[in-house]
Amino acid sequence: MLVSYNWLKEYVDIPWSPEELADRLTMAGLEVEGVTSLNPGLDNVVVGRVLEVVPHPNADKLNVCQVDVGEGQPRQIVCGAPNVSQGQTVAVALPGAVLPGGFEIGSREVRGVSSAGMICSEAELGIGTDHDGIMVLPDTLQVGEALADALYLNDTVLDISIYANRPDCMSVIGIAREVAALAGGQIRYPALEYEAIEESLTDHTDVEVLKPELCPRYTALMIKDIRLGESPLWMQARLRAAGMRPINNVVDITNYVMLEMGQPLHAFDYTRLAGGRIVVRTAQAGEILVTLDGEERVLSEDMLMICDAEKPVCVAGVMGGENSEVTDSTNTIVLESANFNAVSVRRTSKALGISSESAARFEKGIDPSGTLMAAKRAAYLLAEYASGKVLSGIIDRDTVDHAPRTVAYHPVKACELLGTDIPEEDMERTLVSLEFAIEKQDAVWQVTIPPHRRDIELEADLVEEVARIWGYDRIPTTTPYGTTMVGGQSRMMQLEDDLRAQLVGFGLQEALTYSFIPGDSNERLLAEENVEMLRIANPISEDLAYMRTSLLPGLLMAVSTNAARQQSRAALFEVGAVYLAGQVDPPTQPKEARHLGIVLYGDRSERNWAVPHAEFDFFDIKGILEAVLPTSGLEWTKGANPTFHPFRQGRITLGGKPLAVFGEIHPTVARNFRIGGSRVYAAEVDLEVLLAHQKQQIRYKEISRFPRVDRDLAVLIGREQPVAQLVELITKAGGDLLQDVRVFDVYQGKPVPEDKKSVAFSLQFQGQRTLQEKEINDIMEQIITCLKEAVGAEIR
Amino acid sequence: MQGKIAELRLAALQSVQEAASVQELRDARIRFLGKKGELTQLLRSMGSLSAEERPVFGKMVNEVRDELEAIWDKREAELFRQEEEQRLKAEAIDWTLPGRRPNIGTLHPITLVINEAKRIFTSMGYEVVEGPEVEWDYYNFEALNIPPDHPARDMQDTFFFSEELLLRSQTSSVQIHVMENRQPPIRIIAPGKVYRADADMTHSPMFHQIEGLVIDEGITFADLKGTLQLFIERMFGPDAKARFRPSYFPFTEPSAEVDISCIMCGGSGCRVCKSTGWLEILGCGMVDPRVLRGVGYDPNKVSGFAFGMGVERIAMLRYGINDIRLLFDNDVRFLKQFGR
Repeated sequence: MLVSYNWLKEYVDIPWSPEELADRLTMAGLEVEGVTSLNPGLDNVVVGRVLEVVPHPNADKLNVCQVDVGEGQPRQIVCGAPNVSQGQTVAVALPGAVLPGGFEIGSREVRGVSSAGMICSEAELGIGTDHDGIMVLPDTLQVGEALADALYLNDTVLDISIYANRPDCMSVIGIAREVAALAGGQIRYPALEYEAIEESLTDHTDVEVLKPELCPRYTALMIKDIRLGESPLWMQARLRAAGMRPINNVVDITNYVMLEMGQPLHAFDYTRLAGGRIVVRTAQAGEILVTLDGEERVLSEDMLMICDAEKPVCVAGVMGGENSEVTDSTNTIVLESANFNAVSVRRTSKALGISSESAARFEKGIDPSGTLMAAKRAAYLLAEYASGKVLSGIIDRDTVDHAPRTVAYHPVKACELLGTDIPEEDMERTLVSLEFAIEKQDAVWQVTIPPHRRDIELEADLVEEVARIWGYDRIPTTTPYGTTMVGGQSRMMQLEDDLRAQLVGFGLQEALTYSFIPGDSNERLLAEENVEMLRIANPISEDLAYMRTSLLPGLLMAVSTNAARQQSRAALFEVGAVYLAGQVDPPTQPKEARHLGIVLYGDRSERNWAVPHAEFDFFDIKGILEAVLPTSGLEWTKGANPTFHPFRQGRITLGGKPLAVFGEIHPTVARNFRIGGSRVYAAEVDLEVLLAHQKQQIRYKEISRFPRVDRDLAVLIGREQPVAQLVELITKAGGDLLQDVRVFDVYQGKPVPEDKKSVAFSLQFQGQRTLQEKEINDIMEQIITCLKEAVGAEIR
Repeated sequence: MQGKIAELRLAALQSVQEAASVQELRDARIRFLGKKGELTQLLRSMGSLSAEERPVFGKMVNEVRDELEAIWDKREAELFRQEEEQRLKAEAIDWTLPGRRPNIGTLHPITLVINEAKRIFTSMGYEVVEGPEVEWDYYNFEALNIPPDHPARDMQDTFFFSEELLLRSQTSSVQIHVMENRQPPIRIIAPGKVYRADADMTHSPMFHQIEGLVIDEGITFADLKGTLQLFIERMFGPDAKARFRPSYFPFTEPSAEVDISCIMCGGSGCRVCKSTGWLEILGCGMVDPRVLRGVGYDPNKVSGFAFGMGVERIAMLRYGINDIRLLFDNDVRFLKQFGR
């Protein structure tokens, strides 16, 4: 909300500069987001009157003007504006003035004619955007007066952000109340009392509220003989300062009172109301109203309308209709000052897509007791500034319970909650200055809530009032004492942290991708069974519309991004949830399963003269899993996941549950994600399965102090023969003394026959005694026999 | 005989001098001092001498042998050193070539900030907990004193799946789960993802918050101030000042917004703090009695405070990141910067 400092001063004494005031308000919970001076710098710019205009003798488009600037003698000023004419009141920049653009005015000759100043346009003065001609001012202005004074520009505007619970502060008086409490001052309420004519409004009009639950109160006045025209300059200045455009005196006054008191008002042209009466009802489905912004609105049954005897004339609390708008020919108005249901206004303005100053106030819930005061204030101003005659009587359809609410307040408990001692008299002064009334009953205060403070419901709300005016910065800093508590995190979080640390150690970057992915992601993964993805009802785009069921789409998109940006290496991992759809009816939450995803793309390491260049391959992704997963209990099997290369993938189960899939991404999938250049290797691990089988304790195994015997074994086997089976056979045949088996070479090609491959193993034997040559030879013999028989291995 | 010894000695000294390498020196040593060496042979020829001459002669030979052995040792050591020096010189490398460095992995900046907060709060006895991201309206709004059609719902453009099921817009939902399942005392933080339908330079539809909740007997607003002051000093450095401003959240009362002195300019005013000298960093307050009652606690017996902060905001300030989208772009040139 934009608030003029000068306007505010009318209701309360402000002992602070605008900047100090801004600081005080911010620290009291009314955050001031900007402090702007309205005066763009208009020293030496004054009001002048054009006495004479004659064409410039040496120039077609220039005129030579004699301008009275209140100096006795008129000044001669050359002016090039097309709209300058005799008798106009204008803004004159005198020599010495520096216009907001930095342009310095001096006395000079313009094509042989002397010119002592400049008649300015709005744009040149920095107070508007019109630069087509000079600014023509009202004739009522005093010639010679400083322009900034004449136009009420010596003012500062505060941009105050109002929280949703304080609609009462969406008004100048509301802010003034806060200032009064902060400064210990008193509010001065504006003049309300007008003199009504004898004629009674009930002879001419009536108000019928058919939906009192949506319109708890409707107050109406009638004013006739209105002379439509411009509103006074000071009022226009204040409206502009608040960001509103002056229109005419009637509309301006309704807006002015809304800004002043926070109560939206609406003026209807009485002669345009069928039957001359107001009916407050909901719309009939399909009814149409053209609103003031010229838009045709199709109404629905739940929207509250202000109607005349026949048709809607206004969307209640949101925006008026063109069919009852005040126009130049308006003579008599019905003035509405009503209270509408906040939720109803909120829904209607949302449904119609209209945001107005009025709706912004109603939808936060405003004080229904304020309608009468606002109506009277507007009537007073209409009588004063639109020469209106106010009919006697007021229509007030009021179903509101105005009984004052009280809340019990315990000063001692308040201090206990805040953790500080605020003297009782300070608490009392604060509450009273905010217009709360206190009745003391020993240790309890019965606090009566002023009607405009609808946000105050509990004692805690009063504690906040006291604390914020007292000053949060005066409350000390302590730390909680009491039971000592053990900090920590869950086993899952610890597992995730451990995995992150390991993968970072392996040179991978942690990625963070969106939880929502495009709807065709699973198709792009070639996923066989269509896994159901949860759809967001109101996504910001179709690309972010479905909750992921796998980390791979996001990670593949990340690879794609990097590939497109010429990055030759992307080794990424992500730890996060996937969302497995729950039951639809009755709905249940999805299962949020924690997963680890890994992708490897491009160069295995950064280019380095000392490292042979190589790209990631299948055994990089497999090796990472071997390193981070448990060393026992895993069952590795051939995979059949359509996302991966059919012959380059694996699957791991743990305790009979699927733990991980890994392998080379299928080239079609890579193409679907627009990944070119290098192949992509990926893995996805279900962390809950991993956590369930996490090794609880590490047990030390004794290290042998006896000499180790190493033997190598090279065999020729069928090309398709999985080596893992041989390792298993060797391990079995090797018995207890065989401590370790490693595959240290695999070779295909000459001189190995085409259907064969050569595999070399390194075997380590060790025991708790010195081993004999003979017994090792015997074990080797057993192993060889076993390999020959089981897989037809030939020993090389 | 004596003449022969002297002659042999001279010849030996000569060969020591002439030897150009350790190997030549060793060969010469064997020639003179070896088992079949010339000096040894001379000793053997002693049999032809008289019994009186023999010890004298033996002594002379041994003296010469000892002398020569010492000379040889010395020279050999010398030559070895020279030769090794040569060898090392030949092994010279260009030490300025880059090393064979392991690939440097990095944690995401969001993880770095969350880890830092976890460290700070667990050291103060807080437990780190998590809650669901796909959440019931009840936990995200209703139980937090935000009934349907409450204007506060407008401040958070929420993604939803159905009438009741939505993507949580704030980690405050975890507060309710925790309080429903435990009795005070409670000290938790809950980091996690939250979602709001908003996307520009400073807003992402998915972002992270860290929620904190403390419930016990006698917890005060001063405790809230002190706790967050400690956190801010440890997160942003000992010079970081905190400012508590009254604010509004439906689930806390009194509520506050916390600003820290601008970490860019130190409070003198700059572009980042919009010349105010302060940066808004988190929201907090005393848990609203209605929220406490809603989970079955007695607000007359226990009180507590809650706070919530935006992780992206802190990460952007800490690392000088000017566009939130960089955090979810996963460009490796960005990610790699958070290693060291």
